Amino acid sequence: MGEYVYEEKESFDGKKVKVLGPTYEEGKPDAKNDWEAKLGSPEDRLNYLKTALRYWYSKDWFGSEKRKQEA
Amino acid sequence: MADEKGKEKIRSIDNAAITLIEKAQKENVSTVFFRADELKPCPIGVEESCCKICGMGPCRLPRPKKAGEEKDRAGVCGATIETIVARNFARKIAAGTASHSDHAREVAETFLKTAQDEAQGFAIKDEVKLLEVALDYGIETEGRESREIAIDVGKKALEQFGKQDGELVYIKKAPLKRQEIWRKLGVVPRGIDREVVEMMHRTHMGVDQDYKHLMLQATRTALADGWGGSMISTDLQDIMFGTPVPILGTFNTGVFKEDQVNIVVHGHEPFLPELLVTATHDPEMKALAEKVGAKGINLTGMCCSANEVLMRHGIPCAGNFLQQELALVTGAVELMTVDVQCQMQGLQDVSECYHTKLVTTSDRAKIEGAIHIEFHPENGLDTAKKILRMAIENYPNRRHAVYIPAETQDAVVGFSHETINYLLGGLFRASYKPLNDNIINGRIRGVAGVVGCNNVRTVHDSAHIAMVKELIKNDVIVLTTGCAAMACGKAGLLTPEAARLYAGSGLAEVCEAVGIPPVLHMGACVDNSRILIAATALVKEGGLGDDISDLPAAGAAPEWMSEKALAIGQYFVASGVYTVFGTTWPTLGSEKVTKHLFEEHEELYKGMWAYEPDPIKAAGMMIAHIDKKRKALGLDKARERVLYDMAMRRALD
Ligand code: SF4
Repeated sequence: MGEYVYEEKESFDGKKVKVLGPTYEEGKPDAKNDWEAKLGSPEDRLNYLKTALRYWYSKDWFGSEKRKQEA
Repeated sequence: MADEKGKEKIRSIDNAAITLIEKAQKENVSTVFFRADELKPCPIGVEESCCKICGMGPCRLPRPKKAGEEKDRAGVCGATIETIVARNFARKIAAGTASHSDHAREVAETFLKTAQDEAQGFAIKDEVKLLEVALDYGIETEGRESREIAIDVGKKALEQFGKQDGELVYIKKAPLKRQEIWRKLGVVPRGIDREVVEMMHRTHMGVDQDYKHLMLQATRTALADGWGGSMISTDLQDIMFGTPVPILGTFNTGVFKEDQVNIVVHGHEPFLPELLVTATHDPEMKALAEKVGAKGINLTGMCCSANEVLMRHGIPCAGNFLQQELALVTGAVELMTVDVQCQMQGLQDVSECYHTKLVTTSDRAKIEGAIHIEFHPENGLDTAKKILRMAIENYPNRRHAVYIPAETQDAVVGFSHETINYLLGGLFRASYKPLNDNIINGRIRGVAGVVGCNNVRTVHDSAHIAMVKELIKNDVIVLTTGCAAMACGKAGLLTPEAARLYAGSGLAEVCEAVGIPPVLHMGACVDNSRILIAATALVKEGGLGDDISDLPAAGAAPEWMSEKALAIGQYFVASGVYTVFGTTWPTLGSEKVTKHLFEEHEELYKGMWAYEPDPIKAAGMMIAHIDKKRKALGLDKARERVLYDMAMRRALD
């Protein structure tokens, strides 16, 4: 991907904003983006759940509910 | 066909559907479109002012035609119009919940058989999801084989149906504040079957005759669908068949191929469709196709069966609900399989007009005149091959000129909540934070779920597309499932390029940076559970309040028709979502019940129903609600818009 392309547009609240154009690759994918395949071992999987899906599976990370858990 | 005023009636915005409706008309083939012309909705039934649950009735209690003539209305037994309308509404919710949950039971039973090596052709494919669900169910995973874990998961999932007390296990996945609301109101489901049975009991003649009390149980029943049966279906199907990841798919009737054997899988359960995918790769089947003069085997889908195999294998989708009969009118379909839900009996008559074999495959659903080949997981692959062979052998029997519309549209599908999380932040820093940040900084105004059916009482696909375009134009990102998702796919809204073409500047910028469409296809109707989980992730990520009802979000089903849609709507409302339905509304017979759902529900659940048949007005109502929530979160004030570029995203990896 070369230089980023920016344009000036109007946002929904009427303000002028500078926006970034497409940064994804042109064309159509020929295979599915099987990102889960990168998780090879049981440890990787558990680590993924505890970090990526920390909203439910991390003991010490509760996002907006952190305060509630401590109370 | 012209209407009474001689004007040409617009039936669809989809050119493929329009040309096939015309073909059906010329060939004198009866379809839902013509039957609807001849059979207008009953004016008393449409507002549900009729009770027929006992042998002293039916009691018909229409609203007075003129204002000022209102009087108390009651049936022979004294049941008030409020009781009657609420009872009818609650029974529909029970039927919708039963449908999703009986599907889920089949999934859980097949899952257990798969884990026990008793299901032919199935496997535990997604070990990550297995671990995730095992953690949800509190099942020990350390040092155990996947198979052992899966057996425990299957048994625990089946327990959710027959449990008599306590809480469904998935309830604890909801935001903590939401759980508190449910517990305070006493609407936490105990067991899936128990809630449906109790709902049917309480709506029997002479039992629960207080509309507000009836609606509490209707809510508990609906929650047993969204946070019960539907969620079980989604999770266990993901483990068996893989959690959806982005994949290229194709939509519309143009996916049929004139010189190939065309098969359509229609219905909702993904078991046979999955094995048909496997069977089409069998060299023996390919050779047989060649032998009958076909250039190949073209497996396609319709309705939610299509969504299931589309998002996992890229199997083309031939259309949504109102196109099921039209698919056969092409004269190009050798065989259509149907299992459960949303399959019109009219298919049989249409199939007889052509050479198509209609095959029912579930032990719970037969259609008079159709061929019945029961699918059981123990010999699933053999059954799939038998059906495939029947389709191939039917290829030489085409007796009509084949007409396949040219329309097809490519799309990117497969946005499970896990995939959205991954796309936003990478593998180990997967996060909803970029989405939350962009909602907070105003690039994205809010989130909308647009889901549901087609309904022949409104122009096919028109309300879906008008509403979705209006939402994305106003920077509202749309999550979609079911027939709504297919409408979006056909209209070209499920491509990354759609962001530039149709989305407002802020939403387009985010979509283009991440490389996602402005409308995300999240799956079949049971996968509305994915939307509940995505909404929960947005809450738990932080910065947008501490409950789903705090989010700048809204839901809609502009072309709904099934009882399942009402169950879905009720569990979204009870989860804190403002939900707008179009086309028709089944409580208009009672002002009090309607007020309870449209206004008083907000006090109870902080989410409420609305009805607006005009999709642009409905989108406006959703945007107004989103702005109300933005204001409550203090997001209406001017904020610095941090430019969200690739470098920032990469920094997260
Ligand atoms: S239950 Fe009451 S209102 Fe309903 S049909 Fe019987 S008598 Fe009529």
